[in-house]
Amino acid sequence: MGQKATDALALVPELVTADAEPERDAEALTALADWCVRFSPAVAVDAPDGLFLDITGVDHLWDGEDALLDDFRTRLAANGLPVRCAIADTAGAAWALVRYAPDATIAPPEGQAARLAPLPPAALRLDLEAAGQIERLGLRRIGQIADLPRAPFGRRFGQAALNRLDQALGRAPEALTFRRPPTPWFARLAFAEPISAPDDMVRVTQDVVAKLCARLETQGHGARRFELCFHRLDGKPLPVAVGLSLPGHDAVRIAKLFAPRLETLDPGFGIEVVTLLAQAVEPISRRQARLDSAREVTLAEGLGPLIDRLTNRLGEDRVWRAVPVESHVPERAIGRARPLGAAPAQARPWNRATPRPTRLFRRPEPVEAVMALTPDDPPTQFRWRGQLHRIRRAEGPERIGEEWWTGDIDELRTDRLRDYYRVEDEAGARFWLFRIGLYGDPERPPSWWLHGLFG
Amino acid sequence: MTRYVELQATSNFSFLRGASHPPELVVGAEALGLEAIGICDRNTLAGVVRAWAARKQLRESGATIRDLTGCRLDFFGDTPSILVYPTNREAYARLTRLLTLGQRRSKKGECELHWADYLAHAEGQLTLVVPPENLDEAFAARLSALVRDLGGRDVWLAAARRYGPRDLQRLSRIAALSERAGAPMVATNDVLYHGPERRALQDVLTCIREGCTIQEAGLRLQANAERHLKSPEEMARLFARFPGAVERSVEIADRIGFDLGQLSYQYPDEPVPPGKTAIQHLRDLTWAGAQWRFSGGLGEKERGTIETELALIEKLDYPHYFLTVHDIVRWAREQGILCQGRGSAANSCVCYCLEITAVDPTKKDQDLLFSRFLSENRNEPPDIDVDFEHSRREEVMQYVYRRYGRDRAAIVATVIHYRPRMAIRQVGKALGLTEDITATLANTVWGSYGDGVPDEHIRQTGIDPEAPEIRRATVLAQQLLGFPRHLSQHVGGYVLSQRRLDEIVPIGNAAMDDRTFIEWDKDDIDALGLMKVDVLALGMLTALKKSFDLLGIRDIADVPQEDPAVYEMLCKADSVGVFQVESRAQMSMLPRLQPRTFYDLVIEVAIVRPGPIQGDMVHPYLRRREGTEPTEYPSPSPEHGPADELRTVLGKTFGVPLFQEQAMRLAIEAAKFSDADADGLRRSMATFRADGRLWTYREMFIEGMTERGYGRDFAQRCFKQIEGFGAYGFPESHAISFAILVYVSAWVKHHHPEVFCASLLNSQPMGFYQPAQLVRDAREHGVEVRPPDVLASDWDCTLEPPDDPRASRRALRLGLRQIKGFKAADAASLTAARAAGAATVEDFALRSGLPRRALEQLAEADAFRSLGLNRREALWAVKGLSPDIGAERTAPLLSRQSLKEVQVQLPFMSPSKEVAEDYRTTSLSLKAHPIRFFRDHLARMQVLPCSALKNLRDRRRVSVGGLVLVRQRPGTAKGVVFLTLEDETGIANIVIWKDAFDANRRLVMSASFLVVHGQLQVAGNVIHLVAERFTDLSPKLGEMRDDEEAAPQVHNRVTGRLIRSRDFH
Repeated sequence: MGQKATDALALVPELVTADAEPERDAEALTALADWCVRFSPAVAVDAPDGLFLDITGVDHLWDGEDALLDDFRTRLAANGLPVRCAIADTAGAAWALVRYAPDATIAPPEGQAARLAPLPPAALRLDLEAAGQIERLGLRRIGQIADLPRAPFGRRFGQAALNRLDQALGRAPEALTFRRPPTPWFARLAFAEPISAPDDMVRVTQDVVAKLCARLETQGHGARRFELCFHRLDGKPLPVAVGLSLPGHDAVRIAKLFAPRLETLDPGFGIEVVTLLAQAVEPISRRQARLDSAREVTLAEGLGPLIDRLTNRLGEDRVWRAVPVESHVPERAIGRARPLGAAPAQARPWNRATPRPTRLFRRPEPVEAVMALTPDDPPTQFRWRGQLHRIRRAEGPERIGEEWWTGDIDELRTDRLRDYYRVEDEAGARFWLFRIGLYGDPERPPSWWLHGLFG
Repeated sequence: MTRYVELQATSNFSFLRGASHPPELVVGAEALGLEAIGICDRNTLAGVVRAWAARKQLRESGATIRDLTGCRLDFFGDTPSILVYPTNREAYARLTRLLTLGQRRSKKGECELHWADYLAHAEGQLTLVVPPENLDEAFAARLSALVRDLGGRDVWLAAARRYGPRDLQRLSRIAALSERAGAPMVATNDVLYHGPERRALQDVLTCIREGCTIQEAGLRLQANAERHLKSPEEMARLFARFPGAVERSVEIADRIGFDLGQLSYQYPDEPVPPGKTAIQHLRDLTWAGAQWRFSGGLGEKERGTIETELALIEKLDYPHYFLTVHDIVRWAREQGILCQGRGSAANSCVCYCLEITAVDPTKKDQDLLFSRFLSENRNEPPDIDVDFEHSRREEVMQYVYRRYGRDRAAIVATVIHYRPRMAIRQVGKALGLTEDITATLANTVWGSYGDGVPDEHIRQTGIDPEAPEIRRATVLAQQLLGFPRHLSQHVGGYVLSQRRLDEIVPIGNAAMDDRTFIEWDKDDIDALGLMKVDVLALGMLTALKKSFDLLGIRDIADVPQEDPAVYEMLCKADSVGVFQVESRAQMSMLPRLQPRTFYDLVIEVAIVRPGPIQGDMVHPYLRRREGTEPTEYPSPSPEHGPADELRTVLGKTFGVPLFQEQAMRLAIEAAKFSDADADGLRRSMATFRADGRLWTYREMFIEGMTERGYGRDFAQRCFKQIEGFGAYGFPESHAISFAILVYVSAWVKHHHPEVFCASLLNSQPMGFYQPAQLVRDAREHGVEVRPPDVLASDWDCTLEPPDDPRASRRALRLGLRQIKGFKAADAASLTAARAAGAATVEDFALRSGLPRRALEQLAEADAFRSLGLNRREALWAVKGLSPDIGAERTAPLLSRQSLKEVQVQLPFMSPSKEVAEDYRTTSLSLKAHPIRFFRDHLARMQVLPCSALKNLRDRRRVSVGGLVLVRQRPGTAKGVVFLTLEDETGIANIVIWKDAFDANRRLVMSASFLVVHGQLQVAGNVIHLVAERFTDLSPKLGEMRDDEEAAPQVHNRVTGRLIRSRDFH
């Protein structure tokens, strides 16, 4: 603890280091607290590395505290999470035992004083400085402190220290802040009679979607994904899911997206329960469409329903939007992004001053019979797909080097480059040609390619 | 023939932009047939001297290239950047003043300039406007305004063809703009590197600058490799459609009449009294000093030496320099600040007379020649380095500023270069390697110097050096080595001038308050022939000054010389705390060398250095000295020269070269180096050079010697030694200066160990040993040492009358400075309270107003003993004071009343715990040595006390145990680690060979209490234990607790280390 990373590395050169991420640790601890709700509804986070569970009245569900502790440890171990735990009457005593007594210590009721007596002062949740000084006074066990006259001790180490002692021994109350896990975005409908008619299935879908969407709307939230599940009499679940390009809670629209998918489901002997789970839930600003006529429907709002329909028909990877990627190499300068929503923030938009063809070929096509003045004048003619084009106007070259960091550095060559030319033939058609390599090296004569067409 | 001058070249002194060194650009431009090259770095002139020096060197071999001194100015606000070329000396002065202005008003490394600033300094400058990316109407308007501001003359628009998307369109637009504004268009190539193969490195620099990886860098990178130097023909082709643009570059260059060689330089006049010439004054001072220095009689020889030196100083016009250094030294002495010159100045008798140095070069059997310090052949200014007391050097520096003013005195820069570790770390990061890979790669470099990252080291860590991504990182890191990273201030090198310094070189702010430094470093200063004074700091001078004050000695020169008892002590390696010879290597050399005279100490200082060690010269020297090997001189074949041609060079060191000068003389006498080559060799040896120029002389040296019939082995060893000198050179004059301090500090230690120990403790941190060892050594020499105490101690350690009035020595009272965390200001309040009669804890608290924290520190350090309180009682009492007692000084009665309370009996503290607490609070204990409490345990393990080793035979297998004091892994020792253990009986020196270390690395590096099992190696008085196995007893130290039953083993006890070793990598 407290050792410098460089010192540690001098000792153990193969040491793997990781940056401390207190925020992510705190998130993980919170998540663990939510998970612990299965043992007790009252879980309190004791940052940075502990949890308190109030197990008053729940241990009988496990046949006693030993079994509860066992189950707890087994389940966490199964998740690859080593823990230390202890049970005591007070939070303070449990805190001390879990850190300074053998693992899984259970203090019997009213027995914490005896258990705490041999532990060091630091077990009282004092700051390190005070705990160290108490030890240096020769008071190395909590028992010794408990035996001291209260006033002189309190005078020196403060009411807070006395309070910690009292809390551990059960002489003073301690209020813990228990955490309430968020209600899941989940809705469920059960039917007295099993249903199987397609119309019924559509209807219950509308009902359950309406139920959940009403909740989402009142809390100002929307979801990007809805997972519907019909539970058949024989226990088999029939899941269907739809995704939205923008988070939403429009029950009618969402139910419509489900409708074509329901036909494929086999209800068997009937369905007794339907559940709906909303995922990727996030707050959305509540919109009052059209009350203020000055406000136009945004492009995203207008396109949203169409894109949702296309996506749910064609598949999620078939509908996309082209976005800029920062690269000098033309074919790498385009990326795919979700059809709606914000573009990836890091890339700057394409530079309008940099001419790029409307249609960029996936694979450049070879051209022949190129005539051009060396070393780098634009060509005067070329043949593509058997047809000869005489060039009337040309611009270039724009020189683009290779992305050297993808290749072997020892074979780095300064002549591995492309010279791009924008040319117009006599018919007014515009082409994007490039030459790979430079003239002059008989070993590697340059070659010419067509990379795209301007509209 | 086409003519062209590149006017827009960026070097790597535009940090993380340019990817070539200035000399590379100059050499590259010459090779391409350019007429001249102008290096314009961003708001700095830091690289121009290097370009100038490279050009000078090229000229010597017949090249015709010119270098143009210029600068690119980036402004605040919407002003476009410009390139500035001063046409004459006065315009250059305006440029440096402008840069000084911009740098002084910003924080270190930045420069805030506005267009108005430039206008005020624009006279005589040629201005080239650099067009921005976007050539909109706003720029057109701005350009016209700029041209108008500058009077419509001497303004150009710099165009470059970058092979971008619409080059011709852009150039046409620039041409139109230049026409409109009346700023003719001139062709440049906006160069970032000398050749296209540097593109990859330039991309990596961009990533480092932008803090991104190469994959993320995107459009921040250059699209192609076109920004390199291009030939006049190529430039003419690229600008064929813009006639005149290329020719104009030559016209501009022809207008520039300034060259850095015109920086005529004058030393300040201050030290010369009115009505006297400098040389007159220097003569008067020198002869006056000579009368005092040679009070025994100024002989003909001395007279002659001084006369010759003065004549040469006059001839070379350096009297001002000597007077300036003398002035600083004189002032320091008047303030009672101890100082002494080091380095080659000790070759000068004038310096001796002026009290700048303490060495009399006319003394016989010293081979000191004035020509080594100052020579007519070598056209370079003298270099005088003076050491001052480290704790008072700042006063001297402030004096220099006061005396010459900040506009005429400044510290020179040190260029911080990329070293292997940093290079691989940053390149790896830029290439997107993960943190752990770059860390592993960086850790394969031991120490901060080195030639890169050797493949086999990488392989050992389990990484494949041939993997493309690793190879990219190592190749590019190699290219990055030696690139400047930033400028930093030199430790103490000053440049002083008669003319305003800011008209010679820009001056910027240092990170430290009240410090400014120039943009040029030592090499630049040398190259231009400016002179500098080194104001250095030396801890031992502080300690000696403190000793002298206690002993009533005025100066080093007043210490009795050649005292046999002092040498007797040194021969026994009894040298803890003595200057230079206290390290372990020196200690094992002392008994072998048996120094009996002052000159022996000179040898002692010089021999335990990387040079002689790497050259394998130490053992031959010792054998010859002991007489077990005949003294012979390596000789050439008869046809090449007399057999004893080296006798004069190596005579006094038994035919073995030990000093830097001897190695130099070997190059001249034996390898027949020309004067110029010898000079080059000396320069590359003088300071460590990242570019490894030393290598170029290797072949010449070794072949030169072997061709003339010298043994190849001898020649190779000599050159190895030169390489060793390269890193840490010691010329003889320097060794003599240091030997004086060795002798004087040994003299104090021998005759007044209590004074010596007190002075060293009061000068901490310094030296090789920790206070615990210094105190232990003093006690072993019969000094009574007393603990820090509120009733007796001051901040510093003091001397007190001995208990026994017949005792010859005073007792040493440890000062409150030994208490960790206690502050000097608190000590002052405490002593004041004591003087006012404080005699209880409450008194001290009330009268001193000490913060509670300080009182607790005193209590925990057991400093209330004399008040009858033990450590725990004192802490209990301090903790029980009213919380705001310090503030209640006005109402003492009230707070006193509240102190009545129930008495509490605290547990008794065991002796071992007392010792552990002593170490925790004061890093030493006078009560006992910690290991004493484990002696029984060690005895059961068959571990011997350290003191028992000296009675044992060579090669015996034994075990010793103790606290780890020092770990050392010298670069010269091929992976061997030296360890010093200490127990209650003494110390033991452990040698760990590489294999044993590698197998036990973790344990050896971390243990604080270690048992070493191994084999004894006895050579005379020198005893080593060669380690074979180790037992780590460090956890045992945690058992130094109270005697009651052990507390339960706690789970996450914060482990405090009892002692910290001093580790030297």
